[in-house]
Amino acid sequence: MDKLKLVADVSLAEIKDVLSGFERGSLEPLKISVLRNIMMEPARPYYEYLGLLCGLNVEVMYGEYDNIFMEGAGGREDLLNENTDCVGVFACLADMSPLISNSFASLNADEVEKEIHRIGEFINAVVNGIRKQTGAMILWHGFERPLHPSMGVLDYSMPGGQSVSVDFLNDGLKRSLRNIQNAYYVSMDDIKASLGAERFYDRRMWSMGKIPYSREGLMTIACEDFRFIRALKGKNKKLLVLDCDNTLWGGVIGEDGIGGIKIGQTFPGSTFYEFQQVALDLYNRGVILALCSKNNEDDVWEVFRNHPDMVLTEEHVSAHRINWEDKPSNIRGIAEELNIGLDSIVYADDSEFEVNFVSRLLPEVQTVLLPAARPADYSVALLSGGLFDTLTVSAEDKGRGRMYKAEADRKKLQSEIGDVGEYLKSLEMEVSVLPADKVTIPRIAQLTQKTNQFNLTTKRYSETDIQRFADSDESDVLCLRLQDRFSDYGIIGAAIIVCSGQEAQIDTFLLSCRALGRGVEDVFLNACLDRCRSRDARTVGGKYIQTRKNMQVSGFYRRKGFEELSSNGSETSYRLEMNNAQREVSGHFKSVIVEL
Amino acid sequence: MKDRIKGVLAKVFEVGTDEINETSSPDTVETWESLSHLNMIMALEEEFGVRLTEEQMINMMDFESVVKTVEDAVADNG
Repeated sequence: MDKLKLVADVSLAEIKDVLSGFERGSLEPLKISVLRNIMMEPARPYYEYLGLLCGLNVEVMYGEYDNIFMEGAGGREDLLNENTDCVGVFACLADMSPLISNSFASLNADEVEKEIHRIGEFINAVVNGIRKQTGAMILWHGFERPLHPSMGVLDYSMPGGQSVSVDFLNDGLKRSLRNIQNAYYVSMDDIKASLGAERFYDRRMWSMGKIPYSREGLMTIACEDFRFIRALKGKNKKLLVLDCDNTLWGGVIGEDGIGGIKIGQTFPGSTFYEFQQVALDLYNRGVILALCSKNNEDDVWEVFRNHPDMVLTEEHVSAHRINWEDKPSNIRGIAEELNIGLDSIVYADDSEFEVNFVSRLLPEVQTVLLPAARPADYSVALLSGGLFDTLTVSAEDKGRGRMYKAEADRKKLQSEIGDVGEYLKSLEMEVSVLPADKVTIPRIAQLTQKTNQFNLTTKRYSETDIQRFADSDESDVLCLRLQDRFSDYGIIGAAIIVCSGQEAQIDTFLLSCRALGRGVEDVFLNACLDRCRSRDARTVGGKYIQTRKNMQVSGFYRRKGFEELSSNGSETSYRLEMNNAQREVSGHFKSVIVEL
Repeated sequence: MKDRIKGVLAKVFEVGTDEINETSSPDTVETWESLSHLNMIMALEEEFGVRLTEEQMINMMDFESVVKTVEDAVADNG
């Protein structure tokens, strides 16, 4: 098979061709889950292709649009679980804080500080929430500085400018991530800088489809994410094999002699000097260095030992093949000598012939063609792929992921009161549960028709149906209303209880996704159980009917203490004995009103 | 050019090239919806090396208009 081209050299169409033609099932899986308030699906092929390049079968699952809090802090089992390898978070500021993003000039210092604090609490709740659900590596993409700051040229000089505020937000984000193992900050500003804002953004795609970035932008983001992913999977390269002539110095030692080669602190030797510094830096990071050069050994060592401007010395070189044999055989020899796999090796050379030769015979070796006419670009050529990136914690051992999760679980109570609890309290939520009436029945019917995710049975009813349930003595229709400091969300939950004798059955139990992650479901379930109790019911039955969209509530009744009675795969029945003690509801609501 | 466009659309909407024809639109192609419409635009821009305006992007609501828009855009590029 032809070696796959680097993602920057291949078009989306080619990527799709390669992906559809490749049998990926046998590769090691890598599951990426994405929480987001923007559309990032167009980036999926890039992640899949980058995965292919390092032997991984990448599957990307996107959370619901603008459900970061609901899924991260509230929970979503099918998206965040022990099989998840990586969680990407894209929390764009325009959506997280329209105030800071679009109305900055209208805010006073107090209001800005409040917003920054609110977002900080949000981030804490979500980061901790994700970690409670999965030990996966978290990649949270930082906020982007505004292209044209609100305060214009004064922005950086003022204590409270817009760009400064974004910096504060990112500082808070970094702090939150540092408190958790295996969670990393991805600098979107750096990615933007590498492309330039005009190439990074696509304003048409933003206005038409909430995709902020251009194809190139999406690709570059995927590449950056993959630096972390490769490191996570231990795919980082461990050995750098270097050519000598026109790589470590300008010129050919065999012809120019030690006095004629270019290596020094002034031009033209300075570019090679800087390149050697890059190699030495890699050495100090833990990368192994080796030489592979077509030369007489003595000539090369003479430079290493006697040239005053060499940065690298003999002691930095762990192995060498300096002879007139072919490079592929030599590199294979080095690999065997050092007991390093070919797929952990990078070979850097300015010669297209040698690079192609090695590439052809040793396809597992990553080759870097240094641009012969532009030695000043050598460093970028070697470093830009992030080939040597490691994470400080090696997460190769999945057991570690579980250890982090266990730790998080143990700290669960603490963090619930600390971070999530505080944030939820600050929302000043007011919940009311009411029986359905003329006014609310249309909305309730609408909810049964439109709600897909937090819907236990997904039964679709018309207004007439709801009216019938409400009128009948044998059934009750309840609805839940929510408001908080920021908004009145109206009726966002509906439940239908059907009673026969001493057995109550929850026919319908649903919540709009806006209600999730706030503990509202507990209030609602409690109210339903209270209603059953007041009807003298001895047992309450509930059903979970699986659909493509409601997997996140598959364990709901189980979690709330119901006993599983039976299951036929897509339908599971539960029951609860009513003599169970009154359940506790978290105290973070400003008020809870239940009118039955 | 029509065939090239058919190929791009078939790939984006994940259908056979024989399923894309003069009558194709979001009504007849199940996978042609708002997000894949934007993917189609990105793919066409990459394939033909053009950059479409927002107005052009909105006007490409069936196969015929896609072809017309792309042909115009390529011609404008000179």
